[in-house]
Amino acid sequence: MENKEDYSIIVEDVTKKFKVYYDKPNTLKERLVFWKNNKTDTHTVLEDINLKIKKGETVALIGTNGSGKSTLLKLMTKIIYPNVGKITTNGKLTSLLELGAGFHDDFTGRENIYFNASIFGLTSKEIDKKIDEIIEFSELGDFIDSPIRTYSSGMYMRLAFSVAINVDADILLIDEILAVGDQHFQDKCFAKLRELKESDKTIVIVSHNHSSIRKLCNRAIWIQNGHVRLDGETNKVIDKYLEECK
Amino acid sequence: MIKDLYKYRELLKSNVKKEIRGKYKGSFLGVLWSFFNPLLQVAVYAIVFPYIMRIKTDNYLQYLIVGIIPWTFFTTVINQGMITVRMNAGIIKKVYFPREILPISVALSGLINFFISCIIILLFCVFGGLGISWHLLLLPFIAIIQFFLTLGLVFALSAINIYIKDTEYIVQFIINMLFYGTPILYTATLFPTTVRWILYLNPLTELVDFYRDIFMYHQMPQLHHFIYLVVVTGFVYVIGRLIFKKLEKGFAEEV
Repeated sequence: MENKEDYSIIVEDVTKKFKVYYDKPNTLKERLVFWKNNKTDTHTVLEDINLKIKKGETVALIGTNGSGKSTLLKLMTKIIYPNVGKITTNGKLTSLLELGAGFHDDFTGRENIYFNASIFGLTSKEIDKKIDEIIEFSELGDFIDSPIRTYSSGMYMRLAFSVAINVDADILLIDEILAVGDQHFQDKCFAKLRELKESDKTIVIVSHNHSSIRKLCNRAIWIQNGHVRLDGETNKVIDKYLEECK
Repeated sequence: MIKDLYKYRELLKSNVKKEIRGKYKGSFLGVLWSFFNPLLQVAVYAIVFPYIMRIKTDNYLQYLIVGIIPWTFFTTVINQGMITVRMNAGIIKKVYFPREILPISVALSGLINFFISCIIILLFCVFGGLGISWHLLLLPFIAIIQFFLTLGLVFALSAINIYIKDTEYIVQFIINMLFYGTPILYTATLFPTTVRWILYLNPLTELVDFYRDIFMYHQMPQLHHFIYLVVVTGFVYVIGRLIFKKLEKGFAEEV
């Protein structure tokens, strides 16, 4: 028998619909006056998705823009919730959907590490232990004690990425952010992801960078129009995907 | 829920700090305004009511202060708490964290402010010749009941406000009414006993009465009033949390 504990993420019969408002009723008046002729359409982004991701797997989600990859990732982090179905996750989860959540421009890089990491659920003691590692990884040097409004966008991203990747999570959800910083920093991030993969973390990545996915992931899931089109070994899935997209 | 909050205690802590400092950020006196504001309000009423309205209550100045400082605790938390989910839209859309942290940190910062403000009440009571007594030991309990009552309301209001933005304005109006529906400026004895009970349906009336018992009259609050307050608070808190839990799943989409 299969053991539920072996899986990091279980997605069962998940359907997600978004309401599309043409005229969103924001106030009570609008709600009362227009309660009948509210033009809302529902747009089904994901339909009947069933997935099981094992502990230690590194999975890539691929597909064209608007196919529902990012929505699926958001559902897994519990930022949004499915209309139908259930998503179970096992273990501490960190998502790198958007970098720099909770950053304050007027505070220094060091202070922002504390803000950002606390949103990921770390305590100040845990952050104390990791802060040197985070600063070193970001390669910000002395800039770490300057307010982040003085940072260039590359520095900002490097800091944000360094915090997120150094949060000790069992499950990492990453959306399209392998393209952070210059080539040198990208290589470093890639190496860090490999290291995490070796240490038996579960990683789910949404990316269009097929060459790095091929190197990093052992499983790819192709999502098309809100359905799982193909699920299997990375190279096979990507080849098939590229063939069809031509 | 408590386990979740414990895990995210660092976030709670930094949020509470932000709430306390943030409101008056950039002003010269900073946090001190949260203590000056109620005092200035007291000054206005202390001048207006005895002389113009000819109200004659013993120790009217103290009577006002013990009423207004808990009232400020209540309104600050409601006003800041109501918009807290909306104000934090940025991080709600980006990351998962227990959403309760937002209203809880507003209520906690209010509670901390209130405890500090109690020093002002004490100073006025001592120097006004009213003295202090062991009844002060009851203060934390009454304050915590007020904390849960307000938190329950903020849970509900902050969530509803995401879906219906009018909530803010409606609540503002109700709070203005409630100020006169609570014996802060006047005494409840102004009303004949036949209608006075209506005033006491308002849990804030009960609270203000208890604070006055503790600080001014040095007596135990009456038990049946106390039980009524606890029941109302429990009810408001449970309903408020249910509403929040029900609505929080849509925050990232609706906000």
